[in-house]
Amino acid sequence: MRNPLSAITYFQRNPGKVLPMGFVIVLSVFLIASVATMVNSIDLTISTIYGYTNYYTYAVPQRVTLRVPPDQLAVIRKDPRTDRTIDASIFFTSIKTVFGRFPFVVLGVTDDNRDYLMKRVGTELLPGGRMPAEGMPEAVLSEPIAANKRVKVGDIIASPNDPGGISGSPIPVRLVGILKGPIWIAFTSKSFVDMTFLTSPRSVIFTTKKPGDLLALNDDLMPTQHRDRGRLSPAKVQLLSRQNLIYELRDSLSSMYLIMTIVNGMVIFVIALMSGMLSNIYFTQRLAEFAVLAAIGYQRSQLLWRVVGETLLLTLAGWAAGAVVTFMALSYMKGSVFEPRGLLINPHDLFAYKYTIPIPISITLFAVATIAVRLSRLDPVSIIERR
Amino acid sequence: MAISPVVARGMQVVDEGGVLACEEVSLAYVDGSRRLTYALRDVSLTLEPKRFYGIMGPSGSGKSSLLYVLSGLKRPTDGTARFGTFRYSNQSDGEVTCLRREQFGFVFQQSFLLPYLSVLENIEVAAPKPGTEARRRAQEYLNQLGMNGLERKLPSELSGGERQRVAVVRAMMNDPAVIFADEPTAALDRMNGHRVIDALAHWRQRGTLVVVTHDPEMVADADEVLHLRDGQVDERGTPAEIALAEAQRATAATVGSGNR
Repeated sequence: MRNPLSAITYFQRNPGKVLPMGFVIVLSVFLIASVATMVNSIDLTISTIYGYTNYYTYAVPQRVTLRVPPDQLAVIRKDPRTDRTIDASIFFTSIKTVFGRFPFVVLGVTDDNRDYLMKRVGTELLPGGRMPAEGMPEAVLSEPIAANKRVKVGDIIASPNDPGGISGSPIPVRLVGILKGPIWIAFTSKSFVDMTFLTSPRSVIFTTKKPGDLLALNDDLMPTQHRDRGRLSPAKVQLLSRQNLIYELRDSLSSMYLIMTIVNGMVIFVIALMSGMLSNIYFTQRLAEFAVLAAIGYQRSQLLWRVVGETLLLTLAGWAAGAVVTFMALSYMKGSVFEPRGLLINPHDLFAYKYTIPIPISITLFAVATIAVRLSRLDPVSIIERR
Repeated sequence: MAISPVVARGMQVVDEGGVLACEEVSLAYVDGSRRLTYALRDVSLTLEPKRFYGIMGPSGSGKSSLLYVLSGLKRPTDGTARFGTFRYSNQSDGEVTCLRREQFGFVFQQSFLLPYLSVLENIEVAAPKPGTEARRRAQEYLNQLGMNGLERKLPSELSGGERQRVAVVRAMMNDPAVIFADEPTAALDRMNGHRVIDALAHWRQRGTLVVVTHDPEMVADADEVLHLRDGQVDERGTPAEIALAEAQRATAATVGSGNR
């Protein structure tokens, strides 16, 4: 049998007073978690687009040369961890991202190197397609890239008419096959790129015998924040490693993350203030109740604990409901808005929900602190006589 | 989070038969025009256990103030109040609250029932330990006062008289040594007022009853009536003696005004 003064009893019998406050909390959690998830989708997009960097790294010549200098290539080849170095000629196809059109690399490699890389990253050609023919303007793309570009086998994936001229392709390139695998990847024939993109720099791709060694090798060759301290010369070669790419993108987005943190802080402060004021209004409506309980012998500390319990339970329930609502809404948006456009969003992103944790805490602290002051000054007689 | 009532904390109440007393108690406050005004002035009295006391007097005479000081709801400006040997005027708020919880019951002018709780739950709130046993006792009291059938009703579904009688049962739930009732019938018609007083009188055999009222009829069965004027006890006697004194005062006032 439940204590008549339990928070659950109060909530059940006073929905009109409890629901508005709960609704405010649900909305605020939804607002903050949604914004955080959207912002995090940028990071998700980056790590997905650059997913291949978990398997191999690009060494790109600096602009003064079209090829990776032999001495630099020798450094990479001589490292005992290196498995294979692959000459690659590349062009780009444009993909849509949450931060606009973005170039995605289409790898021009020889057939044996392509087969090696596909095996390495666990990708295979889907039935109904074929690999690009030697020297022909043809390419294969991973499924999510095709979805992002809304293309199917037979469609053009790069042409002189590309928006923004991202591909720089002087002739249309046709999609001849779709790949299935864990990462985003695209291939064409090396001979096609070499014949068509005459001034495009020739890169070198390298892999390690043990995939887990790749990041350590990257660091040895060109540390992210101290590039001149590595074994490669930053004046001669640029290393497009996972660490470097993600560091650079995150660095360029750091101002946006800072702004988001400030906006979040302000929203949480305003919500805590509003909810605290709302709690105080409800407390004022219940002054007679607290006065009579104090008069008949309930300690102020007991009454305060009652307020703490009610506020905590309400904010936690509101937070949980807000998280569920956010998850459901984002899952719906993922399926109906994001995925059909090939955009990335992760409703399971725990980081976004962590952003909302200050909401129940700040509301509880604010409400309890202000009500504690009022309870300490509570004079049951003045309230009983007033009525 | 549910809260439980205070459990006895070994309060040093040497019974003395449950005597309630105040010694040279004054209660002063600063009024609207910033003057120091006395609601009570040097009041000393002793209330014997298991007796029915009526407190009467004109408006502003200090009746309710005396009840609040005796019950520990207000601290006197000077003097002390005690229950047995426990002097609570200078005790901490927690100790006085504990005293109220364990030894006193309250009925106010309005019932102050919690609007979202049923009759039974409202009564249970005042029990030292809410739960099945408390509900059984609450039901027993309701039956004794002829209020069975109301248990599950909300206060809004009761008449004013019924609400006030539920408040009386609530005051009995902690088995108090003293029940304080501050004008418990003021908002009721005569018939309902008598029902409430009858319900309170039910308690007389078990503890002290202190009732503040304007209505002499409501304390006609009292063992003793204290009459207050200007913050002091100016008469003390049986209801009949007080009524007689009142009548004499009224006659003297009438004659006095006629001679002028």
